[in-house]
Amino acid sequence: MLVNGVAIDDTFAEAFPMKATRLIITAHDLTWARHAAVSMTGFATSVIACGCEAGIEAELGPDATPDGRPGLAVLMFAVSGKELAKQVERRVGQCVLTCPTTAIFAGLDEGEPIALGKNLRFFGDGWQISKQIGNVRYWRVPVMDGEFVCQETTPVVKAVGGGNLLLLAHDVEAALGAAAAAVAAMQHVPNVIMPFPGGVVRSGSKVGSKYPALPASTNDAYCPSLSSVVAASALTPDVRAVLEIVIDGLTEADVAAAMWAGISAVTLRGVEAGVARISAGNYGGKLGPYHFHLRELAGSEQ
Amino acid sequence: MIEIVLTLKAAPKLRVDMRDVTPAALAALNRDALAQQTVWHGNQRVTLADLFSIALRERKDDLPALRLIGDLARFDRIGWAMESGRIEIDGSAGDYLGALMVAGVIHCGGNAGMFAGCEMAGGALHIDGNTGDFAAATQPGSMDGMRGGELIVRGNAGDRLGDRMRRGLLVVHGNAGDFTASRLVAGTIAIGGSLGTHPAFGMRRGTLVLAQTRVELAPTFVATAHDFAVIWRLLAKQIAALGGPFESLVTKMPRRLTGDLAVDGKGEVLQVG
Repeated sequence: MLVNGVAIDDTFAEAFPMKATRLIITAHDLTWARHAAVSMTGFATSVIACGCEAGIEAELGPDATPDGRPGLAVLMFAVSGKELAKQVERRVGQCVLTCPTTAIFAGLDEGEPIALGKNLRFFGDGWQISKQIGNVRYWRVPVMDGEFVCQETTPVVKAVGGGNLLLLAHDVEAALGAAAAAVAAMQHVPNVIMPFPGGVVRSGSKVGSKYPALPASTNDAYCPSLSSVVAASALTPDVRAVLEIVIDGLTEADVAAAMWAGISAVTLRGVEAGVARISAGNYGGKLGPYHFHLRELAGSEQ
Repeated sequence: MIEIVLTLKAAPKLRVDMRDVTPAALAALNRDALAQQTVWHGNQRVTLADLFSIALRERKDDLPALRLIGDLARFDRIGWAMESGRIEIDGSAGDYLGALMVAGVIHCGGNAGMFAGCEMAGGALHIDGNTGDFAAATQPGSMDGMRGGELIVRGNAGDRLGDRMRRGLLVVHGNAGDFTASRLVAGTIAIGGSLGTHPAFGMRRGTLVLAQTRVELAPTFVATAHDFAVIWRLLAKQIAALGGPFESLVTKMPRRLTGDLAVDGKGEVLQVG
């Protein structure tokens, strides 16, 4: 299947169930909200070693936040609700509580609640104050610029992690251009994040390694340096750079919508922009229950 | 669902205890049983048919509903420990209106007596007129007053409003009497008009919002100068939705005093006016 000359592989991306929550960080202005959000979502590229995958989902204007200040929506994903709770507490405690003028709120309406400010309140050393407004409980913790306001809990929902696209290009510059265009398009899709740096990962991995201690290792089938020496290489000689975009979303449909947006952005640039093929990573369909078939997505209208 | 309409025939000579007359309890009765349902009138039991003319009306919703028509100022404990449904009172109510209620809605078009909403734990109690002393407070001898839900009074309230209140939202559009928010454990009280003496006496935690008046507080309250705009915006938005004297709260920033330092001292009085 060719779209504007770009080949769409007859394959699928395989994704997994995860647990997710959305947090809304507000601050005196967007700059400080962003400082907190960037810090909180740092070192959150992959659950393999970070504990969670997190990213900034969207900017929010004052009319879209609970306290009428500018803010950012952040999505966090983990392999279990327990791990997610641990990551939320650590990251909010170290990155949002510490950031001047910030407040943090739950961004989902329904789900299994985990602690947000419920334990962080003890930082107040007895001076913390609870305030219930409607059905929502907030904690007010005295800090040096006033008070840190945080919602007591945040709902956790079932989510989908590990949707992906592989962009097979003629050179690094073409691969970077295509990946940036795809990520830019996917950032307009709600309920998803691309957790890697700039939304893009160059060290795509396969399960396992020749070294027993490692759970994952380089995806040799897509390494251009190994295309002539690995029997199972998926690359043709004209492909000299591959970049991957990993997508986590709140639902299967959200991940599909983001993948469609990415595929469309790359194919819209045409084969002249340097991308020869679009592929995806999977494990033969045996590990993850969510399968995103590229040709179905590329042929669909969204 | 059927709405049961009880129209008062004549004011009773003694006080009537309505604690068993809740929408859910009456909904389970047929028309004859309804008429024979008894209530205490002084120390004697009388039937509802003795006191009211009874009618049944079709309603579109699924909630049990009860409408009381007439001056029921001698009828106490209307909606006592109510767990569901809706009570509409076209007139005034006696003491203990909505006391101990945990869910449902009570709307009183007139005045309510003493102890309205005392120890209520949930639901909504709306009073268009005035209410007497000890609204949202404790029953005599209890440790905790109102502990959830919302009590909205469009008129004035008496003394000891919200005494020992622990949780919930209590809003009075008009004036409140002496010892408002006394011994407040937690929760939010908002007053649109003026206050009597000794406001927030012995307040431990919680919030007293004064929309249009400034009061002289005890020396055991101290002003704080920090930025609390975030929580104020959240709180003001909730109260401002009730309109009247609270309508413009969101656009204003109150003066904050904390106390009562004679006790726990973690309460706050927010003076907007």
